Amino acid sequence: MNLKGFLDTALSHALDVGMGSSDDVLRHVTPELLATHLPRPLWARLLTACMGAPRVDAQLVVETVGVANLCEHMPIAVMWNCLSEIALRSLGREFVPLPVDSMSAMISVGSGPVLSRPAPLSLTPPPEERPREPAPERKPAVGPAIPSPSASDSLADVVAALEADAGGASPSGRARSATQQRFRQTNTGIGRLAANNARRPQAVAPVEPPMATAPARTARRGSTEVTDYDLETDVAKADDWKNALAVEDEQLVDWSGTNEETQAGGADDFPRKR
Amino acid sequence: MVESGLEHQVFGPTDVLAHATPEVLATHLPPELLGKVLAASLASGSMTPDRVLETVTPELLAKHLPHEVLWACIAAAAERAGVGADK
Repeated sequence: MNLKGFLDTALSHALDVGMGSSDDVLRHVTPELLATHLPRPLWARLLTACMGAPRVDAQLVVETVGVANLCEHMPIAVMWNCLSEIALRSLGREFVPLPVDSMSAMISVGSGPVLSRPAPLSLTPPPEERPREPAPERKPAVGPAIPSPSASDSLADVVAALEADAGGASPSGRARSATQQRFRQTNTGIGRLAANNARRPQAVAPVEPPMATAPARTARRGSTEVTDYDLETDVAKADDWKNALAVEDEQLVDWSGTNEETQAGGADDFPRKR
Repeated sequence: MVESGLEHQVFGPTDVLAHATPEVLATHLPPELLGKVLAASLASGSMTPDRVLETVTPELLAKHLPHEVLWACIAAAAERAGVGADK
């Protein structure tokens, strides 16, 4: 039970809607009670506000300290009397203040120190741990007897054993063909030859029409072929290059010889041509 | 000494409360004295240094507040008066 929280909410709402005023609060929360129960930091705040304010009244005190702090630090009976007076006055009934000592004693007997403590997060204790019952024995599954494969059996052996049990006929009554290898071995490249590897239909690329003015070219040009791309060259001294590149028979290298023979005498006998 | 300074106007109540700040008062004054200060302020409608010192007399200040605080107030007033800078 969070009685302080209830008083804080109720009294704050009563002040907000105008049912009560700060004077009603200060009528019960006297300076003597504040001096007795208010913590020193709140007193420092209150004195600072009072010294800087042009007017010191009940509203300044209540707004400076705050209803929440009043409900937190003042005796609960005092705050209850304050709230009760406001409520009974709005109902047109006579307010009979409750003695602070008797209410404090009643609250202390009723709930004890739990009032000043926040409510625990979980009020229910954790469930008791029960010993686990053994799991019920599982019944064997009803169905065709399938031999459990041993570690040494291969998949082909298991399939062959199953077909032998079925008498070579499928459940549909048709004879089955001999079991073949159903799993592709690795690195066979069979995927490239699969039927589903056919190319999908593709869009036809537009073909440019051949140029009408340009003649068709062959892959290899002849020596007498003259086109627009031929460059004009001076052919008047066509035999000069043949004379410049003339090689004597002594300068020829016999490449059919071994490496040793070539390396042994090649460097000395034939001057390297750079 | 504080009473003498107030009497001879070496410093005023404002100078005293410049050192005896609300935090210092709230920390060192007894609760009943704090209640009296608030009650007097509520009755008069204001809390001025003069009214505070009417309730919390220099004798009570010297009784409850640390003497360093009171001496700082006296030393500052003396420095303003050109007496000295000893603190």
